[in-house]
Amino acid sequence: MPALRIFWYYLWIAPHVLQGIILFAMVRRGLYRQFPMFLLYIGFEVWQFGVLWTTSLSHLHFGGGYFHLYSVGLVLSAAVRFAVIGELFGLLLARYPVLTGPGRSLLRGATAVLLLVAVGLAASAPGNGADFLLNVTYALDRVASILQSGLLISLFVFSRYFALSWRNQAFGIALGLGILSSIELAMSAVRLYGVVSGTVFDFVVMGTYHCCVVIWIFYLARPEPVRPQTLHPLPEHNLDIWNQELQRLLQQ
Amino acid sequence: MTITLILAVLAFLALVFLVRLAKGRASVSKVLENPTEHIRSVDVEAFRNLVDPGEEEFLRTNLPPAEFRRIQRERLRAAVEYVSCAAQNAGVLLRLADAGRRSSDPATAEAAEKLVNNALRLRLYALHTIPRLYLGMIFPGARISPVGIAESYEQMTRQVVLLGCLQYPTRGVSAAL
Repeated sequence: MPALRIFWYYLWIAPHVLQGIILFAMVRRGLYRQFPMFLLYIGFEVWQFGVLWTTSLSHLHFGGGYFHLYSVGLVLSAAVRFAVIGELFGLLLARYPVLTGPGRSLLRGATAVLLLVAVGLAASAPGNGADFLLNVTYALDRVASILQSGLLISLFVFSRYFALSWRNQAFGIALGLGILSSIELAMSAVRLYGVVSGTVFDFVVMGTYHCCVVIWIFYLARPEPVRPQTLHPLPEHNLDIWNQELQRLLQQ
Repeated sequence: MTITLILAVLAFLALVFLVRLAKGRASVSKVLENPTEHIRSVDVEAFRNLVDPGEEEFLRTNLPPAEFRRIQRERLRAAVEYVSCAAQNAGVLLRLADAGRRSSDPATAEAAEKLVNNALRLRLYALHTIPRLYLGMIFPGARISPVGIAESYEQMTRQVVLLGCLQYPTRGVSAAL
């Protein structure tokens, strides 16, 4: 078996083995209560790998039957990823009730705009194969990648503008998903127009997926940083006005 | 092919943004370690004066239209600077107060919660106000009075003092700040 083939199998198997470890660790540490959708996503990915692996070993190998299963899995996986993004939005906004309204408006607005853009781009893109199911799957995958990376970028911009603090695990999940969606989007675009071959596409996407699983492990295992619970010294020039305000407050 | 290029560039930019964001998490703790460097001075009274509708009306009636438009643009440019400073300070205080929300003392936790909410409101308000101020620069005749941001900022500073008092009850306000 050539080295490239071995590497291909490594990139296919290793991330799912690592996801099995994530699954185990999440259940053991009770993280499934905080991130039920992410747990579902990881569980689904492991299960999907099991099904595809078994199919590849059967008489079907990597033929039509395998790709039908792969296509269905891709669509379901994308759907669960949307649920994970919704979960991340929910977790962040739950800590800041003042932003619930603006946050929901952002989510709805961004989804509507991104959906229009994604559908427009998918409709104008050429099909590059005779297999209708595969073409539809890749088009849907592209739409999902645009939506997911756009929503995650919106979430990050929103949290950055409002200086919101993320919990380590939630940040890691969002970061991993964001990187994965961005790379998938770029690769699906360049593959669509035949700029890269299917093999290069597979290696880049699978390699990115592996990196993202490592990112998830890193952030899920990392303890929350201990933040000081007291105010630090602030500059003198604001002292006067703040003291005046205190006087006013005390007089009220 | 153009669409491919656009998508690839957008995806690449998204990736760069995400990587920078991951690196930038370290800078948040730098803000917490040394907030002094990040706080900018805001003269609330001067800001009030800049966005006071009465002052604006006075200038409108006493100056030739061209002169009024020029001065009004300058005033609004300065107001944008004030709002940006207030929003930046709100961001720093928000990070500081966020940690205080987990305090074991209920009064401190409550004060920190209020400070967080007000800082968020101020940043939300700044998000609405800054485009309106720029619009005012384009159309100097339009009436824009974002006085609410001054109230919001003052409320926030009161809460900073209160939170400082709660965290340093024996050392007084100055020691706390």
